Amino acid sequence: MSNKLLSVENLTMKFGGLIAIDNLSFFAKEGEITSIIGPNGAGKTTVFNCLTGFYKPSTGEMVLHNNNDSISLKKYTDFKISYKAKVARTFQNIRLFSSMSVLENLLVAQHNELMVASGYSIFGLLNLKRYKDKEREAVEKAKYWLDLTGLTSRADDNAGDLSYGDQRKLEIIRAMCTNPKLLCLDEPAAGLNPKESSELNKLLKFIKTEKQTGILLIEHDMSVVMGISDHVVVLNYGKKIFEGTAKDTRNSKKVIEAYLGVEE
Amino acid sequence: MEYFLQQLVNGVTLGSIYGLIAIGYTMVYGIIGMINFAHGDIFMIGAFIALISFLIFGLTSIALPLILLFVLLISMLFTACYGWTVEKLAYKPLRGSFRLAPLISALGMSIVLQNFVQVAQGARTKAVLPIITGKFEFFKDSDFVVIVSHLQIFMVLLTIALMAGFTFLITKTDLGRAQRACEQDKTMASLLGINVDRTISVTFIIGSSLASVAGMMFVLYYGVIDFYIGFLAGIKAFTAAVLGGIGSLPGAMLGGLIIGLIEVMWSGYISSEYKDVAAFSVLIITLIFFPTGLLGKPEIEKV
Amino acid sequence: MNNSVDLKKNIKDSLFTGLIALAIFGPIVGLRTRLQKEGLYIDPQWLMVMFLVIGSALGRFLINLNSSRTAEIAFVKKTKLNISNYFSNKGKHLAITGVLFAIAYPFLPFTDRYMLDVGIMVLTYIMLGWGLNIVVGLAGLLDLGYVAFYAVGAYSFALLSTTFGWTFWICLPLAGIFAAFFGILLGFPVLRLRGDYLAIVTLGFGEIIRIILLNWYDLTGGPDGIGGISRPSFFGLPFTNNLKEGEHSFHTFFNLEYSTAHKLIFLYYLILILALITNFFTLRIRKLPVGRAWEALREDEIACKSLGVNPTNTKLTAFAIGAMFGGFAGAFFATKQTFVSPESFTFIESAIIVAIVVLGGMGSQTGVVLAAIFLIGFTEIFRELEQFRMIAFGLAMVLIMLFKPKGILSNREPTIKLHGDKNEQ
Repeated sequence: MSNKLLSVENLTMKFGGLIAIDNLSFFAKEGEITSIIGPNGAGKTTVFNCLTGFYKPSTGEMVLHNNNDSISLKKYTDFKISYKAKVARTFQNIRLFSSMSVLENLLVAQHNELMVASGYSIFGLLNLKRYKDKEREAVEKAKYWLDLTGLTSRADDNAGDLSYGDQRKLEIIRAMCTNPKLLCLDEPAAGLNPKESSELNKLLKFIKTEKQTGILLIEHDMSVVMGISDHVVVLNYGKKIFEGTAKDTRNSKKVIEAYLGVEE
Repeated sequence: MEYFLQQLVNGVTLGSIYGLIAIGYTMVYGIIGMINFAHGDIFMIGAFIALISFLIFGLTSIALPLILLFVLLISMLFTACYGWTVEKLAYKPLRGSFRLAPLISALGMSIVLQNFVQVAQGARTKAVLPIITGKFEFFKDSDFVVIVSHLQIFMVLLTIALMAGFTFLITKTDLGRAQRACEQDKTMASLLGINVDRTISVTFIIGSSLASVAGMMFVLYYGVIDFYIGFLAGIKAFTAAVLGGIGSLPGAMLGGLIIGLIEVMWSGYISSEYKDVAAFSVLIITLIFFPTGLLGKPEIEKV
Repeated sequence: MNNSVDLKKNIKDSLFTGLIALAIFGPIVGLRTRLQKEGLYIDPQWLMVMFLVIGSALGRFLINLNSSRTAEIAFVKKTKLNISNYFSNKGKHLAITGVLFAIAYPFLPFTDRYMLDVGIMVLTYIMLGWGLNIVVGLAGLLDLGYVAFYAVGAYSFALLSTTFGWTFWICLPLAGIFAAFFGILLGFPVLRLRGDYLAIVTLGFGEIIRIILLNWYDLTGGPDGIGGISRPSFFGLPFTNNLKEGEHSFHTFFNLEYSTAHKLIFLYYLILILALITNFFTLRIRKLPVGRAWEALREDEIACKSLGVNPTNTKLTAFAIGAMFGGFAGAFFATKQTFVSPESFTFIESAIIVAIVVLGGMGSQTGVVLAAIFLIGFTEIFRELEQFRMIAFGLAMVLIMLFKPKGILSNREPTIKLHGDKNEQ
């Protein structure tokens, strides 16, 4: 039985008079893939933005469990979500450093460890061995992920020159280079062809089993959702209408109604 | 007390000038999201054209109110051409470009305009004799006589009239609606049949016209101009636009009044040497602590 | 059939252009005001206006004729690529040649005192460009008030030198530290502002510094400035002709005829060394995590935050380091002039330095050199046309934005390669 990684309790997000998320509670487990699905406008990306420090929730709690520690995600905003709470995310519109190379993108992800090793640049400027070793390590780690996703040959190309599917992969492995406990992916399968989608599934399954990272997924592509999710949360109009396994979700009347509407 | 009232009067007058220029900044920022660095120099050009027009009309024997009207219209017309041209040449081609490109282009345009006037008109300051004279005096029996000149009244009334006409334009006419639509979403507006290019051009024309009115007022009020007045006035007017809330028209006017009052009060009570520092400091403080300004709408960044 | 329609349209277009040109040039150029004792007079300049109007209309006509839009774009693209590729392929060779040329410069046959002066000026701007390049080019922070750090460096050097009599070599690092301190002071509250706003705020700050320098008479001497700043010596040997008994100066030690050129040449090498240090530092730090973080921040700040990069600290570092180099350059300026006054630190200086960085290509060191040589050296030579110089300068900024918004050299080489350098095969 895996442990609970993330507990969201009574999360509410209001924008002025508009209630985007209404009293939402759900959980995600370590080493499992949890998908958040729902019709457009249901509030899925808003949930992500609350979890990753871009919005401050109006009320509610988001707790990340790390062994015996519990961190309230509300405490952290901005870059601290990744740095301290070890929550990583990708974006609906891919946000790579396009003019920088693939390798450089992966190295920026390891920025904080490298900064310490470079003695906040002093050791680095003096070209000390300590820094050089750490940099080599970081490059090795980058290479590991590149090999896994077949991107090694493109390591020195500009990230912006990659194909759309490769860019998506890069964004994900870049997030993995930060050693996250929770990985939040915002519509990673959007715009991918069937071959790329199945490669994505493979990658995500690898991440969950080998790295024991919890994955939180927003998706519309049902083949991805049903294919790899261990746990599904369904939202509609900011409220949770169903939570359960992929199989149960597929059969739930409520979910079908939400997507397809009720028969007159 | 009387001294304070005088500063108040002066501040409101100065504020009208800043407010009119600020409107140009805020409108352009609202519709294409860039700071028109050259706008202050458009104001300067308006002042020069007004000056030249006054000189020419001064040779005729037309009645003063008519001269004022003519100079106003002429100044607005010619300055609008400048604004229109700058937009077409330096900003329009850069609309899709990266963020800094229009700003650098605007910077370049500002340098061009300043030096263009310097070359064409000479670097020395130009002065004219007071054109609108006469004043009202209050508190004649006290230590300090409060003077409200006819000119000051004229300036404030003109500003109010322009604001009223302008607000009507924005809220009630097709043009205004098109403008507000473009501010919200240019692509959608164009899909609905609005000529976005023309709307943007009109925005620049209106902004420049108002700046030229401010220029004319400057000539009347101070009687001295040079090619550099645009820089300082531009920064202060931009401060006013930000203070009032960038994108908000009443905000621009409000901001202008506040900046005018701050400048005059600071000069009057503390020191006149550092009055520009006061204006810049207000800018910095506003941007740090109240980035959306007094009447502005908060911007939520979409992730 | 099409041609006649196009021709008619073209003529209409050109006439319209002429009309607009009339409005623009008519009053300002055509009615030149002249100040006499009694008041302002107007000198009509109708010939000039006619010339400009007809020129504009004709120009428009020719442009419409000559280029179909696609041909124009193709042409520009081709030249873009050629220049960028040329420099990126020969990058290292070019750099070494450039440095060698710079070292030999004072002894080249055409280098007289005037050219040496120009050389020193160009190198100063190159150093300033490299310093600002860290802030604007690498980190993408538009700083329009860089001249403030230049001024802080110059004035702190001047004050330390005249008040305490310390030598150049002590005052120089202190000037840099002061400037860096100001960089942190300014940067801390404002660095979270968005691009345009940051630009205006830094501009304001630059102006505040200038106004304070102008008005704080007790400290800075106000408009009179500070004079009598000491010059650096060559390892203890001063460059002077007034000697006391038993003391050596530079020319006596090396058995040369006294010449003021020695001083100048020494200053030239001084700024060359300072500039090269700046360059070396920048090249090194780009390969370090903080340098990479700067460029990543420039590309996408939100992505950086999602990777745990602290944007405020990273930006502050860029700002402070950029300021420090500006301070060093300021110290050099003070010692070269032996006199500082607020006039040297106007907004135009900031604009020029920004122009050098952007026109050269954001982040490109070589680009800065080219842009500086072009903008400063070139326009310096045309000093006679002083007034038109600035117009040409502003136009250059606009034109380069229109045709090459990423600057002349916008090719970027990655700072670290997995597969090694292809060029070294």
